[in-house]
Amino acid sequence: MASFGRFLAKRVLQGLVVIFGVITVLFLLRYITPGSPVDFIAPLDASQATRERIADSLGLNEPLYVQYADYVVSLLQGDMGYSYRSGTAVRPRVFAKLPATLELAVVATFVAIAISIPLGVVSATRRHTVPDYVATLFSLLGISTPNFWLGVMLVVVLAVQFGFFPTSSRPVGLLDALGNLVVIAGPERGWALPLRVDPFLSDMQNWLLHIVLPAITLGTYFTALITRLTRSGMLDQLGRGYVRAARAKGLPETLVRYRHALRNTLIPVITVVGLQLGTLIGGAVITEAVFDWPGLGSLVIDAINNRDWPLIQGCLVVIGAGFVIVNIVVDALYAKLNPQVMD
Amino acid sequence: MPLLDDLLGVLLRGLSGVLSPRTIRNLRSELRSSVLAKIGIVLIVVVLLMATFAPLVAPWNPTSQNTSEAREPPLGFSRVENQTTQQTVDGEVQIINEQVQVNATAAHPLGTDGLGRDMLSRVIYGARTSLLVGLLGTMLAMVIGVPVGLVSGYYKGRVDDTLMRIADVSLAFPSLVLAIALVGLFGQASVPVPDPFVTFGVAEVIRGAMSLPGGLTYPTGMPETFTLPGTVIVVVGVVNWVWFARVARGEALGVREEEYVKAAKSIGGSDGFIIRRHVLPNSLTPILVLGTIQVAAIVLLESALSFLGFSGTTLSWGFDIAQGRQYQTTAWWIAAMPGLAIVFTVIGINLVGDWLRDALDPGIEGEGGGV
Repeated sequence: MASFGRFLAKRVLQGLVVIFGVITVLFLLRYITPGSPVDFIAPLDASQATRERIADSLGLNEPLYVQYADYVVSLLQGDMGYSYRSGTAVRPRVFAKLPATLELAVVATFVAIAISIPLGVVSATRRHTVPDYVATLFSLLGISTPNFWLGVMLVVVLAVQFGFFPTSSRPVGLLDALGNLVVIAGPERGWALPLRVDPFLSDMQNWLLHIVLPAITLGTYFTALITRLTRSGMLDQLGRGYVRAARAKGLPETLVRYRHALRNTLIPVITVVGLQLGTLIGGAVITEAVFDWPGLGSLVIDAINNRDWPLIQGCLVVIGAGFVIVNIVVDALYAKLNPQVMD
Repeated sequence: MPLLDDLLGVLLRGLSGVLSPRTIRNLRSELRSSVLAKIGIVLIVVVLLMATFAPLVAPWNPTSQNTSEAREPPLGFSRVENQTTQQTVDGEVQIINEQVQVNATAAHPLGTDGLGRDMLSRVIYGARTSLLVGLLGTMLAMVIGVPVGLVSGYYKGRVDDTLMRIADVSLAFPSLVLAIALVGLFGQASVPVPDPFVTFGVAEVIRGAMSLPGGLTYPTGMPETFTLPGTVIVVVGVVNWVWFARVARGEALGVREEEYVKAAKSIGGSDGFIIRRHVLPNSLTPILVLGTIQVAAIVLLESALSFLGFSGTTLSWGFDIAQGRQYQTTAWWIAAMPGLAIVFTVIGINLVGDWLRDALDPGIEGEGGGV
């Protein structure tokens, strides 16, 4: 246990170094990209004096290291600056968009894991049967299909042609939808079943209906990828000596497959999932663009198009930090499953 | 497919300077037993030929507009359109609303887009953009990533720690997000490259001698230049270097412990010499396999960038899908056709990647981000 704590502490420390690197890169990026922020703030006919004043107020006339120190210190205080475009504070804007992206990413991940691991196991244990061929074909298609195109096609077929789902947007967040449940069946009315079910149901239904297509769009690549990895990992493990030994001493096949082989298969699967988290976030960005999903992705694309640097930096710091944090969690999980890595 | 087998045999023998005889034997035997690998090679060859000879095989100029033929459906489909016409009957103006069926024509087998441009020709020209960005971007990523990885793995210790933390920082930015930021901020510079087939008049001659189905002649006047999205190529290379660095490092870590490296060191070989002469050649197999997978990843990345409007060219599959979204209620094929082209291309590359992986067993499962 002590060694797990040490391992975790080391990973957290490395993570902090990476986040610091992310911040530094973002700071430098702003200085190597063409164009001065003043150009985007000052009116076109602004005089030289006005431009100077704006540059001064942004601290642009300070030496680079002073600007860098200012930037790092204010970030540590939780201050992400103010948008060039709207003049509003960046941090609340970024965090207001976070739930939408998290909902999408979490739903897609859970659905992907729930489908892909059983599919991979079935595919490996019933090799060369119809289910195996179907799973293999599906996973090949899944990793080869651009998710934004899949999204557009899902909209064309399921939303436009059949009208099963709305084409875009997210009228209600999960927390608000759940909040209504508490209002209806909260402590003051006793926690019994709500008498008036409608608002909750319609909010939840609304949320669910709107998230189905984006979640499929985002999750398909991962479902396919994890199915492939589970299948090949499982095939590899089932051919190993320890599996034969377990079978030879008479353990039930289910136990051999799920307790022994699957557990060892999951180790590389977890590594890859951790490595591919960046892809998940990138996928969320483009999925949001397809479905007008009001998350971080839409915000960052707007910010880039407007060259709204404080907003760009705010979004990317949060994305980078999120990636690092989730990776530490993945590594911790990994160390639990495979204690060898802690050495 | 014995012909395919023979052709590949020749190709693989040509690579014998780089690959060991055992490697080539593994590749051939794996290919013989795998139908999927053959399908993958055929798909890639088709797309490569399409891209290379686009001015010869595309039925129409992909940029020439003809609004009277806009939104024609692909073969086998039809579309119903509400049409309002004015007619003067007995000195009275009558407005007639009627539904007209628009049928597919053989001249545009994949239909036409919102401006009446031929989808098939656009798909064929789009292959050029995708493959050029995919290949050049992968090469750039390799040129940046492999030396970093080899040095990191060869020296180990502090050098390795520093370089790998830099790699971690790079990984913390999702490649699509970083690519959008870089293209968006540095601008979308593109380079017009003269099309050799058109410049030297080959296209005119060959097209003049062919005819289209339906008795039409093959129109001449193909685009004289091809737009190379320069910023995008640089950005996708810069964004994906880290995968090559990781794989090259892993290999170098193993190779540096080999006896022949120790021997080279003991007779006074310099580090630079050992890395070039011993570490690099012995790390090549997984790097090549990763390179294949990366082409697929970069093709997907390019299409995503074009889809979001961060490209430098308007002849790209991703761009057309974005255009097609405007017509998602009336003309689904505008978005569908370029997407299918992407899927076929990427399936082809992935199948070849699987073939190489199964034959060479480089142990790099899961490296190389997708979109």
